[in-house]
Amino acid sequence: MRFTVRAATKDDCKEISRMIKELAVYEKMSDQVKISHEELERDGFCQNPFFECLVAEVPEEQKSTEGFTVVGYALYFYTYSTWKGRAVYLEDLYVMPEFRGNGIGTGLLCKVAEVGKKKQCVRLQLSVLDWNTPTRDFYAAKGGQDLTVTEGWHAIRFDGQSLDSLVHEAPTD
Amino acid sequence: MMDFSIRPANVEDCKDIARMIRDLAEYEEMSDLVKITQRDLEQDGFSKNPFYHGIIAEVSDQHRSQDGHTKIGYALYFYSYSSWIGRAIYMEDLYVMQEFRGNGIGKALMSKVAQLGLAAGCNQLNFTVLDWNKSSMDFYFSHGCFNITTKLGYHCMRCEGEALENLAQP
Repeated sequence: MRFTVRAATKDDCKEISRMIKELAVYEKMSDQVKISHEELERDGFCQNPFFECLVAEVPEEQKSTEGFTVVGYALYFYTYSTWKGRAVYLEDLYVMPEFRGNGIGTGLLCKVAEVGKKKQCVRLQLSVLDWNTPTRDFYAAKGGQDLTVTEGWHAIRFDGQSLDSLVHEAPTD
Repeated sequence: MMDFSIRPANVEDCKDIARMIRDLAEYEEMSDLVKITQRDLEQDGFSKNPFYHGIIAEVSDQHRSQDGHTKIGYALYFYSYSSWIGRAIYMEDLYVMQEFRGNGIGKALMSKVAQLGLAAGCNQLNFTVLDWNKSSMDFYFSHGCFNITTKLGYHCMRCEGEALENLAQP
């Protein structure tokens, strides 16, 4: 199947938002999606964007059953390791089910790695749900290491009320 | 209670940040993994599009450390993004020199990161902790966070070195 991978534009945000929701359904957390294409447009295409995005497109004659030609995306941002330096974090990688098995996911992943390399990033990081065996296998096959298993790293979060409480206890300037 | 202040890091702080990064790595039993230099920190944190931001905890000269340091803690963070909830903040490092612990400095640094994040419109503060690091886990959980690895099953994955080079082939 022919496909291209290109940088997303502001106009792609509606499609990206659609696919974000599809990915959340796959991850069994569809009620967790709180942002829409408007936030994506604001946060990804401003002066200092919070993220960058790539989209995978197929030609019109291969469009999806519902008529979409944008069939996959990768959303990522730059991070920093105080041990190794510049890194890139892959927040989302998604290909619509009917387009899987054609190398599109790999194409998107490799493009993110290439973009990161140009910025001298030495790591590509992401997180995967423990039950998601096909995805874990996909990344393991590409040389990804599971740091939770091998080194014991756990991801911790403050949000909602716990985040507000923390803020209220911040020292005054 | 010891007097201390917290302020944004500037480029002159990079020498002390590099020192404390190595101290923290030693505490985490991974000191041989630190490849970054003071110069990397200067370039990556204080250019037009910085890769990170830092805050420093300082004490007055009369409270300086046994080795003569007044910069005795730091937090290093950057902005991230959740495709579900939008803007977020990631705390890469939080560290207070051992002799200054127990004075609320770590808590103050973390709260400051949370405050800066909220001011920038962030809805989450995320970071990672090693599973054996009980004192750090206890510290964080006492302030109301939750473990998304044990509760939701998220595993942290990484590609680097040769595997990353292979991926990056055009």
